[in-house]
Amino acid sequence: MSLIRLPTPLRPYAEGRKEVEVEGSTVADALGNLARMYPMLTQHLYDEGGRLRPYVNVFLNEDDVRTLQGDATPIADEDRLMIVPSIAGGSAEARAVRPLRPVDHTALRVNQAFIISLLGAGFIAGSMVLVAVVALVMALGTIFDRPGFLPLYLLLRGRGPFKPDIVQDNPEPHRFAQGMGAVVLAGSIGCAFVGLEFVAWLLAWVVIVLAALNLFGGFCVGCAIYYWLNRLGVPGFQQSPPPGVTPGMRPTSPG
Amino acid sequence: MTILLSSAILDDLHKHAESHYPDEGAGLVLGDGEPETRRATRLLHRANNFELESRHRRYSIDPKEFLEAEREAEKLGLDIIGIFHSHPDHPARPSDFDLEWAMPWYSYIITSVSRGKAVESRAWRLSDDRSSFIEEEVVEVRSGSPEEVR
Repeated sequence: MSLIRLPTPLRPYAEGRKEVEVEGSTVADALGNLARMYPMLTQHLYDEGGRLRPYVNVFLNEDDVRTLQGDATPIADEDRLMIVPSIAGGSAEARAVRPLRPVDHTALRVNQAFIISLLGAGFIAGSMVLVAVVALVMALGTIFDRPGFLPLYLLLRGRGPFKPDIVQDNPEPHRFAQGMGAVVLAGSIGCAFVGLEFVAWLLAWVVIVLAALNLFGGFCVGCAIYYWLNRLGVPGFQQSPPPGVTPGMRPTSPG
Repeated sequence: MTILLSSAILDDLHKHAESHYPDEGAGLVLGDGEPETRRATRLLHRANNFELESRHRRYSIDPKEFLEAEREAEKLGLDIIGIFHSHPDHPARPSDFDLEWAMPWYSYIITSVSRGKAVESRAWRLSDDRSSFIEEEVVEVRSGSPEEVR
């Protein structure tokens, strides 16, 4: 049994209790059990999609669980969890700004490495089919909101250098950057189709160079463009760069 | 629902809002957490933690600072009963963004500032179904002055 401390506003939904003893081997388990014990708490802890509300921070002893393993952080019997509200607001009318979320940058780097290798191989072999495959994977990744080569990363994850690198970041700019890559490659295939082979390979190289800049230099040009559009107030580009980070540069890992 | 604010606390709210203009200022309100009529006895000014370029329309308070404030309140035998923040060149009404981030039970005191001058402070509480804010009556109490912590 672990102890969860509730902030004052949530106590009325848990029979006025300041602390509640709950079962659970991970943070997610313990919170789920807490919500089952006091169903009135559910709507203030979770949104309609079952995700923790943005203002709910969970601390394990003295550490924010987002700097540990998030919801999956294991907890032991003597551990103490604290629900700490994030206090935020402001005058501007609703724009769908979302808080930073954990983004696995190793998954992004593996994605970039596959893009570079396959496009490079395509160039050497003179195979537009490989370019088309990469374009399709990137387009599907953009549609499903994840790195296109994620399934391959999941096979590699945890082995050798493929340790997850979880960073508090906006996923949206990375999705936009991948979509931009897919569009450029679609342009490349289009050029090849009408016989403009030089332009076709030039466009493929643009994608290789930008992916390499991201992989080796930590700078995401697509993300920088996203944040620039955000500054201009273009609808659909709501997310601002993480605090203290140059737009497009990789945010640093916590801790 | 009523919140009792001394003249000194109201004055402090207005000065704090003006000193942060054109950015939003924010902090925590300590007091007794009576459900119907609650009294604010102290303000804890807190840094606006939101990214610099959006501070004129957003505020946030670091959860670690909140945790410290909660401990401080406990030592004083008080509760954090609410959050105050300013709306530069906007009315003292909660926005949709305020609604999205609101916690139940707390009193949200909003001070409107027009061209650098504080206009008014109004207080709000989230409805139980989270769909809207309900205005709480602000009653100015003339006697007593708050012990202020910065």
